[in-house]
Amino acid sequence: MESLQNVADGFAVVLEPTNLLYCLVGVVIGMLIGVLPGLGPAATIAILLPLTYGVEPVTAIIMLAGIFYGAQYGGTITSVLLRLPGEASSVVTVLDGHALARQGKAGTALGVAAVGSFIGGTVAIVGLTFLAPVVAGFALDFGPPEYAALALLGILLVSTIASGAKVKALIAAAIGLLLATVGRDAFTGAERFTFDNLSLADGIDFVPVAMGLFGLGEILYNLEERHRAVHPPGKVTNVWPSRKDLKESAGAVTRGSVLGFFLGILPGGGATIASMAAYAAEKKRAKDPSRFGKGAIEGVAGPETANNAAATSSFIPLLTLGIPANATMALMFGALLIQGITPGPQLVTEHPELFWGVVNSMYIGNVLLLIMSIPLVGVFVRILRVRAAILAPVTALITMIGAYTINNSVFDVLLVVVFGAVGYLMKKFGFEPGPLVLAFVLGSLLESSLRRSLLMFDGSAVGFFTRPISATLLVVFVLVAVLPLVRAVRDRRANPVPASDTPVINREEESV
Amino acid sequence: MTTPARRTLRTRRAVLGATAAFAAMTLAACGGNVGGAAAEGADFPTGPVTITVGADAGGSTDVIARAVAEGMAEDLGVAVPVVNRAGANGAVAMEEVAGKPADGYELMILNASLITITPLAVSEDEAVDIADLDVLKGLSQDDYVLIASPESGFENLDDLKAASGEIKYGTTGVGTGSQLAQAVLFKQAEIDGAAVPFDSGSPALTAVVGDQVQVATVQLGEAKPQIDAGNVVPLLAFSAERNQFLPDVPTAVEEGYDVPVSQYRAVAAPKGLPEDVKARLIESIDAAIATDAYQEFNKNNLFTPHEISGEEVTTEWTELGEKYQALTEEYDINLADG
Repeated sequence: MESLQNVADGFAVVLEPTNLLYCLVGVVIGMLIGVLPGLGPAATIAILLPLTYGVEPVTAIIMLAGIFYGAQYGGTITSVLLRLPGEASSVVTVLDGHALARQGKAGTALGVAAVGSFIGGTVAIVGLTFLAPVVAGFALDFGPPEYAALALLGILLVSTIASGAKVKALIAAAIGLLLATVGRDAFTGAERFTFDNLSLADGIDFVPVAMGLFGLGEILYNLEERHRAVHPPGKVTNVWPSRKDLKESAGAVTRGSVLGFFLGILPGGGATIASMAAYAAEKKRAKDPSRFGKGAIEGVAGPETANNAAATSSFIPLLTLGIPANATMALMFGALLIQGITPGPQLVTEHPELFWGVVNSMYIGNVLLLIMSIPLVGVFVRILRVRAAILAPVTALITMIGAYTINNSVFDVLLVVVFGAVGYLMKKFGFEPGPLVLAFVLGSLLESSLRRSLLMFDGSAVGFFTRPISATLLVVFVLVAVLPLVRAVRDRRANPVPASDTPVINREEESV
Repeated sequence: MTTPARRTLRTRRAVLGATAAFAAMTLAACGGNVGGAAAEGADFPTGPVTITVGADAGGSTDVIARAVAEGMAEDLGVAVPVVNRAGANGAVAMEEVAGKPADGYELMILNASLITITPLAVSEDEAVDIADLDVLKGLSQDDYVLIASPESGFENLDDLKAASGEIKYGTTGVGTGSQLAQAVLFKQAEIDGAAVPFDSGSPALTAVVGDQVQVATVQLGEAKPQIDAGNVVPLLAFSAERNQFLPDVPTAVEEGYDVPVSQYRAVAAPKGLPEDVKARLIESIDAAIATDAYQEFNKNNLFTPHEISGEEVTTEWTELGEKYQALTEEYDINLADG
């Protein structure tokens, strides 16, 4: 069993004191920057890249990888406590996580997220260990038509994610799609809504939009509400989730792990789509979907597990094919280049110690993160006891600095302010920002993939149905869109609904 | 594998790197205006010299900037942080750096395609002008290679010419060398083709590996591992002369098609540097590119050194820009058509 020998050698590499130390440093930094909204793993790795010049390649990548998956743990914390998602992949966590925090159950939410993240991460590493070469090809079968179909399905799922009025969710999603059209047209170079501003030439960056709509919008809204009794969530003692919480989350964690692992392999946006799909799946499965958005623990467990699993499995295309799946992976690619190693299909055979060393370091890194996060959750939730008058300006300041660091751009800071105002108004008028942000992320993927596909198919849409994966996705799309309507009509025929019985209608609509 | 000598070098690099990282953070916190004091030759430099890169960290331009920054930091004795300011193919970074004081503390890495090709695809007021900057030194050349998927069955240009039906070729985006090189080649060789633009080199390469498009043109450094693994077949290089790393692959010029397209990179500064400061900067760039570490870096990344003076860069790029414009007019190619 030569491969098992390689796995064992990989553990020997990880257990070298230097590598263990760098792994620890990586996950600690990752967790901390995950907590700071805006400053994401990509920016951190870019800043710390020069530090890795002096160490062995495997040590460097172990640390950088630690930053990446450590940030996935940390990112949850601000989503839950402050309603500030730092990454697209933790946007849906905001919905139920923050609701739980408002009920004084922040500890439960964070504890379940940490456990779920650990399980999701570990499942994905096991998958990475045994399935990497087999599933790598999956990424290659995903061409523009498949992405177009996937994005279409994702946008449909967006409408199921909102918990308020369906029409308002659709309006918000439509605005998100429109915002995604800003920027230089990637196919013709034509300017679209850029107003001759070079900062808009590449379109609007996702992070300032999310930070403004969720974070700053929330702060502004809370300021207005200050006259009402301040409600610091009483005691936050239950950091370790109760047995009941774990039992309720078990299914969500299992489904999230599998979903996250497979969607994470896809280059581009895998983790975001994974967390959304996990949330939508949980909401669909729930006996009472109306709990979602009001503090359903599965709504935290599912997406948090899925995004960690996806973060881990996104290493598969890089390490087995030499294809970076997202911005952070592109930096890892650069880090390896600087070390004189070109990631490519031969990496596993030419540098087995690197491949297995990095993979096995993730087992250890995940254990370290779980051990750290449980006590740290107790520390972080204290943030909620800080008076709003102090917390609000500090959060706003950190948000602004975070926005600046993404791209060293003052323009992005202005965007946060603008979207903060929009977020405040949306909240005031009962619109949820979630559908807007998610449709915004998926809109550009849909547009470019659709146009690329049509170029490949000579402008004929039939091509989408001749390819197995895109055809399957489109069939799923039709089923998801049509089935609830059919069911609604049938139910209504079977037992006519009294005009006053609105809850039933709500439930049907929500299960779309 | 690591010799003691190399290890010492690396450790030193690490210390410098740490300084640079710290300086980068300080700079970020202060809005990047550190060390703006009037610089006069003898005292130059007294603070960090920032190199702005108009692309995200991790790409070719970025790694080149970091390699040069390392050598310059050693020679100048100050930190040389690299700051990424991606946007509009690098035009955002260029506009920003051109507006900074010409005191030698603000440099940038310039990509030739931004000057020579992008203007053919974007509106006039967006096109940038090399005259806005003082070019200090040319660095290297990064060649484009036309690759095909094994499933396509193409092994050389003749196979491509003999193919029936329209060939879908992937490009790395609108207004890039990849698009221009293929558009001109297909027209000159009378091959029926349609461009499919991707966002950058990596997705275009992935699309060929997965046989989503039959051919594409990407930079050699990106394609080499996939070529070595047999996942893609190299058909043609667009360099003026044979690339030293692809000795068996013919160039387009050899095959009789006049499309020399490569990506060149150079160091530039805001217009109007004091002469002594300029001389000191050029001296430090020369010192940086003379180091073994830098030369090894070029080899590892398959960059061909093209170390010419700033004046030569300006002349060469201006001529290339004119040539490309003439070619697109002659063959009636509109890069903004996608």
